[in-house]
Amino acid sequence: MPESTTPYPFDRKPRRKAEFIRPPNTLKQKVGSGGLSEEILNRAQALLENNTVDFRPLGEMYLDSLMRAIHQALSADLEKDNPEQIISAMLYPTMQLKANGGMFHYPLVSQVADSLISFLESIDVPDRDAAEIVLAFHTSIRAVIMGKVTGTGGRYGDELREALVDACSRYFERHPDKITKA
Amino acid sequence: MSYQMQRITVLVVEDNQPMLDITKSMLMAFGIGNVVTAKEGGEGYEKFCKHNPDIVIADWMMKPVDGISLARRIRSDPKSPNPFTPVILMTGFTEKKRVFQARDAGITEFLVKPFGARDLYKRIAQLIERPRQFVRSEDFFGPDRRRRRDLAHQGPFLRETDFMNPELAPYRADRRKTPREPNVSLSQPPYEGDKDDLL
Repeated sequence: MPESTTPYPFDRKPRRKAEFIRPPNTLKQKVGSGGLSEEILNRAQALLENNTVDFRPLGEMYLDSLMRAIHQALSADLEKDNPEQIISAMLYPTMQLKANGGMFHYPLVSQVADSLISFLESIDVPDRDAAEIVLAFHTSIRAVIMGKVTGTGGRYGDELREALVDACSRYFERHPDKITKA
Repeated sequence: MSYQMQRITVLVVEDNQPMLDITKSMLMAFGIGNVVTAKEGGEGYEKFCKHNPDIVIADWMMKPVDGISLARRIRSDPKSPNPFTPVILMTGFTEKKRVFQARDAGITEFLVKPFGARDLYKRIAQLIERPRQFVRSEDFFGPDRRRRRDLAHQGPFLRETDFMNPELAPYRADRRKTPREPNVSLSQPPYEGDKDDLL
């Protein structure tokens, strides 16, 4: 008998069974309705904006961790070492810089770190060129933190981000094969 | 009339002390009656079992036990006091593969860092007003992963009315074309969320 060419063959596996459960909305029962007032939200936002946490020690800690990961990438033997582990080691402190910078008055750090995360999530192999780019990001973030550039950095911030994104674009133009397949 | 937040307990699990403090202080400003804290997922699960909170807010990257593992334990451990507890995952990641990873672990909402008070409130309000139904299948237990409303079904257009809907105009040329790019989430009911609403 010829093999079926229909898109829906009769011997297709049965669909998996799924049970749908609607748990009682105890949250709603407890809090009621009406939402929170603008006044309350403004007060909560003010707590965030007026926090006096000094981000620099925290930032330096993550920068040190990132630098160790960069050194590891620069000295890695790509034939033997696990590239995923090397990338993860750079990704973790970068994610922390992104997450915390903006919470503690350094949104430019968050923006720059976000671009670096996109870069790290786009590569499969942390080769020397890639590690150099991460190093450039590290230097820039360090300059922002040491220079106490709070806020978005205005024109300086825009130019810095553009320059770093350009560096990433040039890397992928040179190495189109290095873009992750995941 | 406003939310009676003093009636609920929230567990915040975060290894970064300043972030833990600021999140806790925002929740207190919302009027939440009891904010329990933990420094990593292992301690977080102990506190979860002890306090049975109404909401868990956890950071993703923590050592030794991260937020994803904590969520899995809340959903699947036989000792879990409430596997339906909503879990909000805080993270700096926004890449689709990471969102899928979190979603598949049973996360209810995704809160992208850095966030503001309104972002945090929106996630909590979402849990209260639009709770997800749960799904139990062979390989998954957790909140329904479909969220955002589709404009139309994914198959070919069949009815005359499909051709009258102006929202579907871009898809008429190719009747088999998927109405929108596969999205991170499908919503039911529709949610007019912001750009950070990833799940």
